[in-house]
Amino acid sequence: MKDVMSQPYKSGKQSCRVSVSGKNDSTFTINRNDMLLKSALDQGMDYPHNCRVGVCGQCKTKLLSGKVSPMVDLALSPLSNDEIENGYFLACQGKVRGDIEIEVNLGQHHVVPEQQVSGRISLWKRLPGEVIELRIALDVPFQYEAGQYAFLSESGSFVRRCFSFSDAPPADKNNAATEVGFLIKRLPGGQFSEWLFAENRTGLKMWLHGPYGVMGVDDPDVSGLCVAGGTGLAPVLAILQQRLAQSAIAKFTVIFGVKTQGELFAIDKLEALIAQYPGRVQLLPILSHEAVDSDWQGERGFVTELINEDLGVDYGQIASFICGGLPMVEAVEARLLKMGMNPDRIHADKFMPTG
Amino acid sequence: MTDYFKYLLSPFILSLHAWGMLEGGAFAWLGFGVIFWVLLFDAFLKPSHHRRDTRFPWVYDIIITCTVLACFANIFLYAHLAGGSHFGGVAPQLGAFLGSVMIGFVIGAPPVHELFHRENMALRTLGRIGQCLVFDPWREITHVVTHHMHTATPTDPDYARRGDTVYGHFTRTFPGQWKESYHLEKMMWTKRGRKWYDLRNAWVFKATYFAVFIGVLFALGGVKGGLLACGSLILGPRMMLEVFNYCNHYGLVSATPGRFKMHHTWNHLTPFTRILALEITNHAGHHDDSYKPFYELEPDETGPKQPPFILCVIAAFVPPLFMLMMKPLLKHWDEHYANDQEREIGARENARAGWHELNNDESPTTPSAGLAAA
Repeated sequence: MKDVMSQPYKSGKQSCRVSVSGKNDSTFTINRNDMLLKSALDQGMDYPHNCRVGVCGQCKTKLLSGKVSPMVDLALSPLSNDEIENGYFLACQGKVRGDIEIEVNLGQHHVVPEQQVSGRISLWKRLPGEVIELRIALDVPFQYEAGQYAFLSESGSFVRRCFSFSDAPPADKNNAATEVGFLIKRLPGGQFSEWLFAENRTGLKMWLHGPYGVMGVDDPDVSGLCVAGGTGLAPVLAILQQRLAQSAIAKFTVIFGVKTQGELFAIDKLEALIAQYPGRVQLLPILSHEAVDSDWQGERGFVTELINEDLGVDYGQIASFICGGLPMVEAVEARLLKMGMNPDRIHADKFMPTG
Repeated sequence: MTDYFKYLLSPFILSLHAWGMLEGGAFAWLGFGVIFWVLLFDAFLKPSHHRRDTRFPWVYDIIITCTVLACFANIFLYAHLAGGSHFGGVAPQLGAFLGSVMIGFVIGAPPVHELFHRENMALRTLGRIGQCLVFDPWREITHVVTHHMHTATPTDPDYARRGDTVYGHFTRTFPGQWKESYHLEKMMWTKRGRKWYDLRNAWVFKATYFAVFIGVLFALGGVKGGLLACGSLILGPRMMLEVFNYCNHYGLVSATPGRFKMHHTWNHLTPFTRILALEITNHAGHHDDSYKPFYELEPDETGPKQPPFILCVIAAFVPPLFMLMMKPLLKHWDEHYANDQEREIGARENARAGWHELNNDESPTTPSAGLAAA
């Protein structure tokens, strides 16, 4: 395993030059010994990232020259051995020790600063499929982008879990949201979700910490293919709402996969969007474990089975927004690449259930 | 320039202990006595915020490297002497044993911890092998990955919640660390596509040098000397490090696991404690940047502080005394350091501990059923 550390540590604060090669070449400076990702984001840079704690791998960066110290053994990171051997590290865990040259694709969208705000549960509603629709009325307006997520915790509790926002933020970026929504699946034995499901939690105080992630970013006028597995529908709903409002021409195909008919949820929200934007949204629910002899007339199988030439989309021209469990997202990504999708247009949020 | 000489205190005390053991008789108590009185004297001194001279860092590194090597020599010497009839009566044997316990904790553990946090591979390797001196070759991995990532939350096995006694902490922290060690080792061999028995796995190297170390102790001291030497390391650095952890984050709460803030740890900044512990009691600075060498750490002048270190350690073994000491400190922390969310967590922790007097009427103390603890 390649060791990115190459020179002895030297003391003293000084600034370091970071030269970036990639989609957008650029140069910026940070203080020596600062964490690369945090420093870049503090300067308003659109550095690819998601979790910021070394779990998701979205801030994967290739070190071309110079020295970066990883905070933890790279084998304990989501990077593959090949990536580590080729000089990749996680920017969220990498401390810059001098001038460096890196390879990463910086974007061009507004970075939303982190906030820690409180609120009270204004809606706690059971949906099919062991899903809760949770809405929180915030004490302080909160800014976020569609496709992002936040950590939720109950007031007074150490336990916190991350969930994607299920509705778009206010269209006017000068107005922050005063209420936010989430779709939360019960995970058997999960500390947070079991507590949430135990009884109606309306009125309880919650804390929100975020927003994180950069899933929903692409040209607003580009049509999209949205693929959601279970409560992966949450960010997809937010992205759909936002992009349908932002563009008059973009069209969307939504593949929504759950196990059985009885687990379909939030269809009313999708149908509301279809009604609001006629001719621009095609919904394709697909069930993976529906009984063979049931009355279900829709698609059966896994979401990847619908990603083919018959779907009626030009894979080379659209963007895709995928959210669901890790295996599902990876399978969809692989399928989309085979269908000729531009890898830079694949936006995915892979989650591992933590409950 | 005097800063460099200060860190010769540890090897000096180590030399006194070794000499005392060789002399035998009452001199076997020398190491224990010197450390005890230095720390007691230190308890009456004011905190020091002095920043160290960093013009010649290699001097510091040479001193701590030699200290670690000397600690190995010391424990081997103890095993050899204890295995025979060198110490004679019970009193000298006890003195030598307690001296080794204290030496192991106060003199041996800090440089090992310092070195295994370093980036330089030679120093880090010495630190890793030096974990034999704290009788746990896996201490580094759980410390660096879990403790530093989950500071001041119950997910960290090194963390003690409000109301927890040190005895309860022992029963939780050791199994927690062993479980975490296994989990992390398994992650590494799985990630590298290896079987658990692959000789290239990190655990194999650790188990090997640990076995060699224990073998040398028994070879030098026989069964009696080997057992006494191992016992001094277990009761000394191994156990006392957990007392240190117990004290250093006791009752503090973090609402942002993975994002350390300077108020998530207690500090002890009296001068001799700083020197002997290699600034580890300047704990906020260490957590803020765990790669920073001890001589680079900036004492947190305004951060949360506990009473002098030796008092905390002694009080920890008398739970009512420890709680009496900690309650006003935690109340102050809640009021002056915690953010709003942490204050709420603190209030619930107070309720969990039965410390209702620390909560005011507005504190959210009633836990919703099922989500009281992580």
